[in-house]
Amino acid sequence: MIDAISGLITGDVLLGAGVTIVVTILTSIVSFALGVFAALGRRSSSRMRRSMAGAFVETFRNVPALILLIFFAFAIPNLFPVDLRRVIFFDNGFVDALGAVTLLSIPYYALAAIVALSANTGAHLAEVIGSGIDTIPSARIEAARSLGASRRTLYRSVIVPDAVRTSFPGITNRLVHNLKNTALVGFVAVPDLFQELQATITRTFQATRTLILAAVLYLILAALLEFVLGRFEHSIRRGRPNDRLIDV
Amino acid sequence: MSDQIDFIIRQIPNLLWGFPNNRPGGLLLSVLLSAGTISAGFLLATLLGFGHHSRWRVVRFLARRLVWLIRGIPLIVLLVLLFQILGSGIIFGIELSAFWTAVVTLILYAGAYQGDIVRAGIAAVPAQLLEDARLLGASRTTVARTVTIPYALRVMRPALVTQAITIFKDSSVVVVLGVVDLTTTARIALGSDIANAPFWVATYLTVGAMYWVVAFGLAKVVRPRRGPRLAPEVAIS
Repeated sequence: MIDAISGLITGDVLLGAGVTIVVTILTSIVSFALGVFAALGRRSSSRMRRSMAGAFVETFRNVPALILLIFFAFAIPNLFPVDLRRVIFFDNGFVDALGAVTLLSIPYYALAAIVALSANTGAHLAEVIGSGIDTIPSARIEAARSLGASRRTLYRSVIVPDAVRTSFPGITNRLVHNLKNTALVGFVAVPDLFQELQATITRTFQATRTLILAAVLYLILAALLEFVLGRFEHSIRRGRPNDRLIDV
Repeated sequence: MSDQIDFIIRQIPNLLWGFPNNRPGGLLLSVLLSAGTISAGFLLATLLGFGHHSRWRVVRFLARRLVWLIRGIPLIVLLVLLFQILGSGIIFGIELSAFWTAVVTLILYAGAYQGDIVRAGIAAVPAQLLEDARLLGASRTTVARTVTIPYALRVMRPALVTQAITIFKDSSVVVVLGVVDLTTTARIALGSDIANAPFWVATYLTVGAMYWVVAFGLAKVVRPRRGPRLAPEVAIS
């Protein structure tokens, strides 16, 4: 049984796992940055920024990730006439270089997938981080202000770190969900782990075994991500009392 | 531009209720599918939530493992895996259709995620309240029925609404089994015909807008009323 399953893990499957991991890391970083900016934007004093951040969050939070993926990868290139489409998306120096580095045959799809997933997860993270911002006692912000902190310092050293610390369990939750969402990128022809395993099925006809392997591998990846984020959470909490409300 | 509008207008009935020979489909099927599986999933979630706090170790173990297992596997993998198992007659010769496999999978999926919310909701009921009820002579089941469930329901409401919206959106993944929900209908409408290429953006904008209206509308309509203060555990997720 073990032999039969390990026989299913070919070089392609490992490459696919690599794609899944890289896509997860990139989308996690981009969506985290988007989430922080959108959460701050929704609480900005400028009405323009508020409505822009609000539109971003409500748009990308309320449309399924799968629709976003298909839209960015397949629909957008179709806006352009055939020859122009090829030059812009599939056949130019930048895309070729990207393909050479990443070993992907159509790098644009991976790029589009990363944009779609980042926007989706970023919109969700904005809500999570936003609720973290809302728990910061106003006295703490006033304290920083009266100590002469500039706006920049206030955001960089008080509001964002505090909000991220308090909302970290929610962020972890969402990033793990994002990892599982990456299984959808196969839909837009990105050769990720699940896509490669499905290719394995068509080659070996061992559907049940391969799919159980897929489930196990995703469980392992999710556990791994949770572990890494747990360590990170531990390190950003170090030396701080759990109940921040009294440490104003 | 006008041919775009023509195409969309021609497809709108299909996107809303499905193709004439295959109704309900489209958005209607997406809504029915998610509403049905969310409701059935809630029953499972109640069992899992209470199971998590059970007096019996075996029940606790099973409830926790099941939630952990389903939450750790991407929905698309779960759908294909269960279709492979339930659709091919490996177990007791059961051969479920793609549609019923999608129903079973979404019930399990919704149940696991809601189960976590129910667990947190039950944990948020103050122990004092339960002890008082027991002291007044209520049996365990009476306490569960008249104290734990009503209190937990109020605490869980916002999280359950959020989760319901998530499941509605995630149900788009049933496209892998070819269940004719909104996403699949859009794919079929566009087909692989190169002549349809200019209509992709308009079609997916329409589809996205349809999902958006339901998801955003649901969030606005069932806006959480002022309930008891939320336990932090429930507010996250």
